[in-house]
Amino acid sequence: MAEFLQHLVNALVLGGTYALLGIGLTLIFGIMRIVNFTHGELFAFGAYFVYLFAMLLGFNFFIAFAIAVVGGCLLGAAIEFILLRPLRGADIETTMLVTIGAWIIMQNTELLVWGGVAKAITTPFPETPLVIGAISVSPLRVFVLVIALVLIGGTYALIHRTKLGMGMRATFQDSETAELMGLNIRGIYTATFSIGSGLAAAAGALLGPVFLAAPTMGDLASLKAFAIVILGGLGNITGATIGGFLLAIIEELGAGYISSGYRDAMGFLIIIAVLLVKPTGLFARAERIG
Amino acid sequence: MNRFHSMIGQTAAAAVVAFGLVGGAAAQSTIKIGMVQPLTGAFAAAGTDVVNGAKIAVDEINAKGGVIGEKLELVIEDTKSNPTEAASVTEKLVVRDKVTVLMGASSSTATLAVMPKLMEYKVPMLVETSSSSKITTAGNPYIFRIAPPSEVEAAVFAKIVNKIGIKKADFLVVNNDWGRGTADEFTKVLKEKGISVGLVERMDQGAQDMNAQLTKLKGSGADTLFVTTAVEQLSLVLKQAAALGFNVRIITTGGSQNPDQLITNVGKAADGSWHLAFFAPWAPDATPSPAATKAFVAEWNKRGLPYGSLTSSFRGYDGIRAIAEAIKIAGKAEPEAIREAFWKVNILGLNGPIKFEKDGPKGQESGQSMPNVYLVKIENGKVVVPKI
Amino acid sequence: MSRYAPIFWLVIFLTVPLWLKDQYFLHVLIITGIFIIAAMSLNLLLGFTGQLSLGHIAFFGIGAYASSLTSVGFDVELFGVVRVVHKPWPAVAGLIIGTALAGFCGFLIGKLSFKVRGAYFIIVTLSFAEVTRLVALNWVELTQGPMAINNVPPFTVGLPGLGYVALWNKAYYYYLVLFIAILAYILIARLVGSRIGRAMVALKENESLAVSIGIDVTRYLILGAVVSAALAGAAGSLYAHYVKIIDPDVFHFMYTVTMIIMVITGGKGTLAGPIVGGLIFGFLPVAVRSFASPEVQWMIYGVFMIIIVFVLPQGIVPAVTQWIESFRSRPPNDTGPALASLATSRKED
Repeated sequence: MAEFLQHLVNALVLGGTYALLGIGLTLIFGIMRIVNFTHGELFAFGAYFVYLFAMLLGFNFFIAFAIAVVGGCLLGAAIEFILLRPLRGADIETTMLVTIGAWIIMQNTELLVWGGVAKAITTPFPETPLVIGAISVSPLRVFVLVIALVLIGGTYALIHRTKLGMGMRATFQDSETAELMGLNIRGIYTATFSIGSGLAAAAGALLGPVFLAAPTMGDLASLKAFAIVILGGLGNITGATIGGFLLAIIEELGAGYISSGYRDAMGFLIIIAVLLVKPTGLFARAERIG
Repeated sequence: MNRFHSMIGQTAAAAVVAFGLVGGAAAQSTIKIGMVQPLTGAFAAAGTDVVNGAKIAVDEINAKGGVIGEKLELVIEDTKSNPTEAASVTEKLVVRDKVTVLMGASSSTATLAVMPKLMEYKVPMLVETSSSSKITTAGNPYIFRIAPPSEVEAAVFAKIVNKIGIKKADFLVVNNDWGRGTADEFTKVLKEKGISVGLVERMDQGAQDMNAQLTKLKGSGADTLFVTTAVEQLSLVLKQAAALGFNVRIITTGGSQNPDQLITNVGKAADGSWHLAFFAPWAPDATPSPAATKAFVAEWNKRGLPYGSLTSSFRGYDGIRAIAEAIKIAGKAEPEAIREAFWKVNILGLNGPIKFEKDGPKGQESGQSMPNVYLVKIENGKVVVPKI
Repeated sequence: MSRYAPIFWLVIFLTVPLWLKDQYFLHVLIITGIFIIAAMSLNLLLGFTGQLSLGHIAFFGIGAYASSLTSVGFDVELFGVVRVVHKPWPAVAGLIIGTALAGFCGFLIGKLSFKVRGAYFIIVTLSFAEVTRLVALNWVELTQGPMAINNVPPFTVGLPGLGYVALWNKAYYYYLVLFIAILAYILIARLVGSRIGRAMVALKENESLAVSIGIDVTRYLILGAVVSAALAGAAGSLYAHYVKIIDPDVFHFMYTVTMIIMVITGGKGTLAGPIVGGLIFGFLPVAVRSFASPEVQWMIYGVFMIIIVFVLPQGIVPAVTQWIESFRSRPPNDTGPALASLATSRKED
């Protein structure tokens, strides 16, 4: 029982960051209809930015984290502005190829700048774990979960409580009508891509110190984010949140009780199963945002 | 990501020459040594260290005028920690660069992948890191190994196992020839000593999250956990075990995992762990040739290379010295002559004498040199050589 | 003169080993040729039916593994009940079984994934490839997992008077690859030129219209998927017996990306496109290797890919064809005979 609970706690921490990744991608995918392969690179970018500022430049860890998130937003906005804005209205394959090209460029830039050896990031949190009964969790992981939950909450508020969020929801429903109603669709697209990218960078900045920053860390992150989006339904933030936690739990229990080798296969099997049984996602009443 | 090169990209140099884009012959006055090493991917750290160690040896030898009147030149290719790529770059080194002797290929799996190419092109290779028993017993007469195989490591460990006091042991190993081979050989030794072996858990070489395996291992009730993998993953295991409050005696194997690097990476989480090492830069006087060790460490520090990498870089240094000696004995830089000459090499390396014994099926023997193995412990952030 | 252009190219390709003495350059050509076969098979799906599969490497890998295992042999226990032992067969049997098994998987995956379209199809195919990679990695008893299958034997050919000869020689292997490539080209050309091909193009142009005039969409898509997967499997088998080692990284996503770049650059939906794109991306490294590190080379490919999408969305072959057409519409003395023959040779689409 203790072992099972420990697995659940492990999954919970991971699930928070998975949810961030998923929410970021589901916004981009849902609103802009872009199969975005740069998402995982933004995740890696977040981790490397924390490494750069906290480890190399000696900034406070928390400030480095904030810089990484803001940096992710700016980089996302730049990608949208330079590569995707000129292609508005192009079919889904075309924009996808451009994001694959951007992904190749970004990953190799990381490899060139940081080298192939993974980088460790230390944090101000004590190494001694918090122990509750038979369950242990490190303070860093508690921090990761709390920040992830705060960011998830913040994104909810943004979508439901702000004018920008309203514009995003309207664009999701029907972009042409929204444009006719006088909404600045181009601005909304840039904002969406920027927020989505920022969330991916935040997830990377949180997980970087827990694991290591490596140039290839983005590959699996992109694929997992796709799994979460499919699981939760296109453009569905609640779905992506639940999907993120669910994927983490399935992976962790699968690795613990079935075979750790198939840990990463779980997400893909879920994609295939969900798409074959219920292509709109498990939590979708209909396609919607919010 | 860079896999494209294995298929097409890495062939470029050849094609450049074929197209006549690059004119002129390469310098005739050097002897080329091919390095097949992982410079990116899961084993990047080990490969980079070995190359750095090899460079020191080459510079040292060249400063003294080289070998048989010619300078040594390293031709370095990246295996990207992938066996197919390792085989592919070996072909490139032999066919394109015309190297006469090779050193590689770090992971056992990659070395096993390279071995058929050695047979095909009849070029000898010095194996500096790989520890799988399969390598020298496969009947490949082009293999000369200076790294101890897993069973030698296990046999050395057998002598001291009773003094450590192990009742039940588990394994957490990287999922390849090296990890699996280590688990098999150590299990044999432990069972002979009447110690029970519980779980054998595996992790993919690129995996970062080992919490699921560690949580499972925590529940097994063993007092000792043997961990075999590269240093980055080892750091993660130590860190994640500490975060889970998993207080087990961890013993790492393989010899490339510098304890200093672990202390740097994970701090206090490394305390209390034991490590089987093949080189002891912390105690130069305990090494077979203290003067050489001090000189190597000094040169390493002078180049500003990380101290934590010494326990893997010495392999590159010793390897090049053995190769240079073989070329000297052969008197010419030809693969077959160098292969013959390897059998006559007898020098003192940083990790004991380098002298090849025959191993494997008769008539097809590979060479195996028997180096030293040390057991060290980390206490309060310091590496100590425990008295046992 | 112009009608002999294809023969001209054929003669060039056929005589390569005679005038090319550099073994390493021949090695580049062999690997490029294998990937051109794979790219042609991807083009059948992407270019002619309009379905972008991101899991195409799965069929290449399945072909490679099936072929290797057929010729190396295996001994596995299924579900702890049935023990299956297979003794090594000749490599040619591996090629046939690899091709057939990949085709069969293409049928299954086609059946399942053509239920969805667009982004969902892309993601489901991508997931399939990742699952096959993880199975190859973890089913160690069968595939050797990360230890890789070593010592995959080369192809053998029966020659009159000589008995069976192993294809260690690169020149022979080059001819084998060329032979399979020509077969694949003819197969695709005939398929696309037939009624089936027109039906495929019709549903690519307008699926609902194609349905309304009575085209059985799924049937044609699945037929396309089967042929495409089988050809990719054949390429995988050629690859395995050439490099003589196969590990789970053969399923790496970057190989699919490589094929897509080849097809898109050359021109999707044209017969010559994958060949032109394949040769470019086989030899682009030649031009950049001398001054660029591997990372920079990759970055150049990435930039290249984006530029192609922005500047030449149709690909090189259609662009060149159009350009030449515009010349041909001028008075005849403007066009030299050489150019005219080039025009015809490029007009295969």
